[in-house]
Amino acid sequence: MHDRLMTLAEELAAEGERPAPPCPDPVNAAMIRNWTQALGDRSPLWDEVAPPAMIQVWSMPGLAEKAATAADRVLARLDEGGFTGVVATNCEQTYDRYVRHGERLRQTVRFGGVTGPKTTALGEGYFVTWYQSWYSGDERVAEMLFRVLKFAPRGGGASRRHPLRPAIGPDTRFFWDGVDAGELRVQRCAECGELRHPPGPMCPRCHATKRDHVVASGRGTVHSYVVHHHPPVPGLEPPFVVALVELDEGVRMVGNVLGCPPEDVHVGMRVELVFQKMDDELTLPQWRPAGGGEARDTAADTNAAADTDADTNAAAGTDTAAVAQPGGDGAESPPGGLPALRVELTPTFVISTALATRDFTPVHHDTALARAQGSKEIFLNILTTMGLVQRYVLERVPGAALGGIAVRLGVPAYAGDTLTVTGRAVDDRTIEVRGAVSLGDHVVATVRLKESS
Amino acid sequence: MTLSGKAAIAGIGATEFSKESGRSELRLAVEACIGAIRDAGMAPSDVDGLVTFTQDTNSEIAVARELGIPGLSFFSRVDYGGGAACGTVAHAAMAVASGQAETVVCYRAFNERSGHRFGQAAIGPDRSATSTGLEFSWHLPYGFATPAAWVAMHARRYMHEYGATSEDFGRVAVAMRRHAATNPRAWFYERPITLEEHQASRWVVEPLHLYDCCQESDGGVAIVVTGADRARDLPHPPVSVKAAAQGSGPNQMMMFGYYETDLTTLPAMGIVGDSLWRRSGLGPRDVQTAILYDHFTPFVLVQLEELGFCGRGEARELIADGGIELGGRLPVNPNGGQLGEAYIHGMNGIAEGVRQVRGTSVNQVDDVENVIVTAGTGVPTSGLILGRDQGRSRTRGS
Repeated sequence: MHDRLMTLAEELAAEGERPAPPCPDPVNAAMIRNWTQALGDRSPLWDEVAPPAMIQVWSMPGLAEKAATAADRVLARLDEGGFTGVVATNCEQTYDRYVRHGERLRQTVRFGGVTGPKTTALGEGYFVTWYQSWYSGDERVAEMLFRVLKFAPRGGGASRRHPLRPAIGPDTRFFWDGVDAGELRVQRCAECGELRHPPGPMCPRCHATKRDHVVASGRGTVHSYVVHHHPPVPGLEPPFVVALVELDEGVRMVGNVLGCPPEDVHVGMRVELVFQKMDDELTLPQWRPAGGGEARDTAADTNAAADTDADTNAAAGTDTAAVAQPGGDGAESPPGGLPALRVELTPTFVISTALATRDFTPVHHDTALARAQGSKEIFLNILTTMGLVQRYVLERVPGAALGGIAVRLGVPAYAGDTLTVTGRAVDDRTIEVRGAVSLGDHVVATVRLKESS
Repeated sequence: MTLSGKAAIAGIGATEFSKESGRSELRLAVEACIGAIRDAGMAPSDVDGLVTFTQDTNSEIAVARELGIPGLSFFSRVDYGGGAACGTVAHAAMAVASGQAETVVCYRAFNERSGHRFGQAAIGPDRSATSTGLEFSWHLPYGFATPAAWVAMHARRYMHEYGATSEDFGRVAVAMRRHAATNPRAWFYERPITLEEHQASRWVVEPLHLYDCCQESDGGVAIVVTGADRARDLPHPPVSVKAAAQGSGPNQMMMFGYYETDLTTLPAMGIVGDSLWRRSGLGPRDVQTAILYDHFTPFVLVQLEELGFCGRGEARELIADGGIELGGRLPVNPNGGQLGEAYIHGMNGIAEGVRQVRGTSVNQVDDVENVIVTAGTGVPTSGLILGRDQGRSRTRGS
């Protein structure tokens, strides 16, 4: 199979750039309005030009037919070889220039290549890359690299079960029952009121065995933390952060810090509780940056808050921009950190953005069908992820012009979850953006800015 | 009543230290034991007691069978990983002093590199709802599953509180590798490292680099403990057990001392240190070298503080400028420690302590009267003060 696959890949690569089906409509205000409303983009920039991250939307075939790619024959060959799973890993868009209302675009496709077999967390697989380019007349206006992993799923569903499971006994069951009920419970002595974690059968202070619990506020401070790199730990992808969190109630607890890069974690950082569903049976109490991450720049926060107010009556599903917790909890902002954006992924948001990007794949709007295909819910499509990265950067860096967005895709962003987008300026032309959901990173993006005009 | 001076170490034995012994753990144990017994000028028939670690896979009766020991009147085990090391000698000394046994061999042997590796994720331990299983259950599900990670949590807070840096930890590794470089038995014989190499070594668990972590080793070590009077009739000068102590701190757990205590301290080691000084009548100025358990560099700093060699947060100053290297203010682990010689769960450190008092180490410190030896940190632990036999020191003293 491998040799035949590689031969086919060489043939396809030799074909070079080929014309693809025409873009159905010229760049137009109506589709742009649908898109900006669905994504919550209130930028005044789009009266004459289209949002650059919309570029793929112009060539989406819609319900009429399935979008063909330059890699279809390779993907089919991999299916036959047992590599039936597919997951998108990279999407990199380069914008030569913004396109104007009224322009009629055409597209071309080009096969990139195949690498593999590689051992991945999902199973053995091949990475397949292809390109799409968009032209106005003879002038190229944008190009996109798209890469998927085609993998052979490991047997059964057993591999999805989190391998590191807590033992639960009579003295600790209340804690895990609490987690299942969406509460973080801390044992309290029913006689003297002493709080205690980890819990135990006898109060070390008054020796009472009668216990109850309080429900923690879910806010705390990182007392210490580590970043695990080596050796491999089953069920987790390094590097990951383990923190000792001192709860506002006074007890300490160990958990992972999700939703921000390891280098952003620091002693004294304020964190808040989030429940991470590891599999069908196990949920873990975890932590993420409090108040929407590292939003500490007062001026920027004020702007973000003002935007939110203006948006109060906007369509359901738009976000609320994160506002720093009042009072400043002593957390420090990392260098170059930009205020966070929090997007509530309501079903309306997931569905309206999928349709506004002309993506009618059922997993983005049909819950029953999504579940039948092994997803726990409908989930955000990639065209929207690209759009949200664009929106985040242009809102945080007013006046910027985008030269390109390169994203690595992570865990799915399911309806019902919250997407927290954070970013930092690496230099004056590069912004790193991270979008995290409760399962971990949904997207890690590098955004390239052009010299502002 | 005190144990001080009632028992002595008369013999030490060890296998080679390797990454793949190619032999069973029982064979390593009995090779080390017979070596120690012969070093003491004894025969297995002189031995009537055996002590090992709870974690050791070689039962006392199996070791006795192989050695042909006709009968045992004392056998005991000490728990909590490497924290057991000096505890085995403490138990042996108590047995000898109280007349429960005449001569006790303490041993530890394992294929810890070629067999079960302690540095790998600890996903195997008891996951039933025993007290230990529940302790691990607050940590393992988060991938917090390796000794390096558990120590790193302390190290990060220590850096935060006292301004210590990764380079301060690195100086411990550099010192141990310098010592190992001139010890032909050490795995890292003739392979010293620089601080730059330490800094360039890959992250294991931030803030710990690879060179902050001790080796994984195959091997065995055994120690013969007998009565002080009897020891004086044996070939080597007796090494007196001037104090032996075990210690466990408040709210103690296995490696998870995070919940009520100050992360920059090791309360169990503080208890051991206080007991050792009190029972021996000695203090930090009375030891010429220290054998400190060095599975991970940061806890060497904390031990120096817990044992009173310097104040809280001041260890990095003691370590600076070669302070714990041969020729420094307090040479630590002249054999290269577990970072440089081998990781035999602290038992090779006791053997080095014996050699330093005998005056036979390849990296001998001048005029050693007393040496302090410690065991595993972060767990309930133990310690010893070994010194020259009082009778001998009187004749030498002039």
